[in-house]
Amino acid sequence: MNILPTDRVMPVLSCASLLSFWSLDFLSFQPNRIVPGTGFSADAALGWPWAFCMTALLLFIIAASFTRLRYRHAVQLVCLILLLLQLPLGLAGFSSVQVPDTLPHARTGIASGFWLLLFFAALMLIELQQKMHLSRLKILILLMLPLICLFWVYHTGQIESLALVREYTARSSQFQDALRVHLLLVCGAVGISLLSGFLLVSLMRQWPFIQKFIFGLLNFVQTIPSLALFGLLIAPLGYLASRSEFLQSINVSGIGWAPALIALVAYSLLPISRNIFIALEEVPYAVLESARGMGMSRVQVFLHVRLPLAMPVILEGVRITSIQAIGLTAVAALIGAGGLGSFIFQGLGQAAMDMILLGALPILVMALLADLLFSGLAGLFRNGAKQ
Amino acid sequence: MIELQQVTKRFGNTLAADAIDLRINQGEFCVLVGTSGCGKSTTLRMINRLIPHSSGLLTIEGQEISQLDEQQLRRRIGYAIQSTGLFPHWPVARNISLVPRLLGWSEARVTERVEELLELLNLPYAEFAHKYPSELSGGQAQRVGVARALAGDPDILLMDEPFGALDPITRETLQNELLRIQRKIHKTLVFVTHDMDEALKLASQIVVMDQGKIIQQASPAELLLNPANDFVAQLLGGEDRGLKQAGLLRVAERMLPLPGPNSLDQAPAIQLHDSLRQALSIMLWHQCQQLRVYEGDSLVGYLPLDRIIRADSHV
Repeated sequence: MNILPTDRVMPVLSCASLLSFWSLDFLSFQPNRIVPGTGFSADAALGWPWAFCMTALLLFIIAASFTRLRYRHAVQLVCLILLLLQLPLGLAGFSSVQVPDTLPHARTGIASGFWLLLFFAALMLIELQQKMHLSRLKILILLMLPLICLFWVYHTGQIESLALVREYTARSSQFQDALRVHLLLVCGAVGISLLSGFLLVSLMRQWPFIQKFIFGLLNFVQTIPSLALFGLLIAPLGYLASRSEFLQSINVSGIGWAPALIALVAYSLLPISRNIFIALEEVPYAVLESARGMGMSRVQVFLHVRLPLAMPVILEGVRITSIQAIGLTAVAALIGAGGLGSFIFQGLGQAAMDMILLGALPILVMALLADLLFSGLAGLFRNGAKQ
Repeated sequence: MIELQQVTKRFGNTLAADAIDLRINQGEFCVLVGTSGCGKSTTLRMINRLIPHSSGLLTIEGQEISQLDEQQLRRRIGYAIQSTGLFPHWPVARNISLVPRLLGWSEARVTERVEELLELLNLPYAEFAHKYPSELSGGQAQRVGVARALAGDPDILLMDEPFGALDPITRETLQNELLRIQRKIHKTLVFVTHDMDEALKLASQIVVMDQGKIIQQASPAELLLNPANDFVAQLLGGEDRGLKQAGLLRVAERMLPLPGPNSLDQAPAIQLHDSLRQALSIMLWHQCQQLRVYEGDSLVGYLPLDRIIRADSHV
């Protein structure tokens, strides 16, 4: 039997989870949107048996770390998923007890203990993923269990009193609009900068002397604070729009989607062009020379050799750019571009934490999904090359 | 037949190849040898137009190559280089099938060709066809490189120091296999190396180059006997020349018929097709003056020390 040494990370994280689970408020209750909420500790919110059940899972994770069992990481992973599965169920249970149908304005909230537990659980998940050498896709599939559970309690109306859900229900069509605009802006910016990146790089490869100038310019753009760049574009675009009927007809003005898209593209161009340039330049010379020596045409060498070998690094650029654009688009809400950022700024204005979350959580999820998608794609190309 | 007449290549002010005159006949194993920067690689790469020649005539089968379509020309000429240049994102079989596919062969013919070539280079199809270049050892990758160069069944094979980066044992194995393959397929081979031993072992014709010029052009035996100048003599290894020459001669050429002297029973054994150099080495090692010569398992003659030193010696 293969005997592995015991580890320290898991018990520490698990102890931290236990501490936050028992010492901080787990869930909260507000009679309406304005009144500050009252916090409930874990045992008060869930009841004794349930709280002890979750404590037992965490203790089990700690205990497993001190064994020398070969499958202890798998045991810990199962415990962790079971723990995560409790969270939506706990929310549903708490809501049904605290908010009867007779209180249509009352809402339940997620308190600090809950968030911290979620945070430590995520850290434990990453730790286990690395210890067990699991792919991110496998972790995602495992995470589908608690996510499906969350969707089920939401869909059956069991957590409709949750503040976040109440905020969403009140603005569901606005939310969908914002989500669509956000996605459109991000995809547009990344798509346009990918195309112009290829164009710029082919120009730079044709005339190497412009390379310094272009990268210098892109680097300079990168140093302008995003808010300033959005602001700087208002005047020139407003002027142009007032002069051109065509621009007016496609809704271009000093504020709105146009300056946002321009600024997003300007920021995305540097990481994308830099990665495309480096990726294409770093294909080994011997490989390209033998491709030509075998009688491949220039186009064939580019499409079948240079581009596929450059693909992982190019996709890495797309990944960085997408994540950056997803975050920057939130700021673009300030100049009236819409998107999920509008909830964040409205929420900040009204000091409504749940409304901020309504904007911030989907941005977080989008960034994680983009990361997963593009690193997965890059991995596919890399697997083929196995360099 | 490849013919170069007054072929010159200029890079700026430097002459990489200076008025090269060279004729390489069909089926010849021509080795260009010289120190680095002598123009041997440039000369090789002018033949498949990876480097265009500045002036002079460079013809293949009588056709000036600058008049031919560049890609068609290259597909007719196999090309193997030191770093193999295999495509890291393609498995072995697909790498080998590159030129046949460019030539538009049918899928069945391509597969058949890949199987044939992997067998020719001692790489079992089932084991290697689906591996990626990064999963191969240096020697295996170089075999695949040679297979890829041969894939389109070209008449001409250009090789630029293909075994330069390999360890001595692998290099020797691959040299022997290249000789075996060449005996079987009779291509016109142009091979670049800086290693004179490799040149002496492989070539039917050696071309010694220095500073863009051809210094001497001769068969290995002739080169050893009459080096044109001190530079060639130095390349041939100075004092080691005798041993190098012995390396070119077979035991069969100097062997004496049976029966030998009575003391022969104690003598170490050597094979008929081994070189005199190996025979000398065995004698030095065993501190003896004669060897029993075998062909396979049967004793066919004996070889005394005097016969290695002088062909006209009679014991």
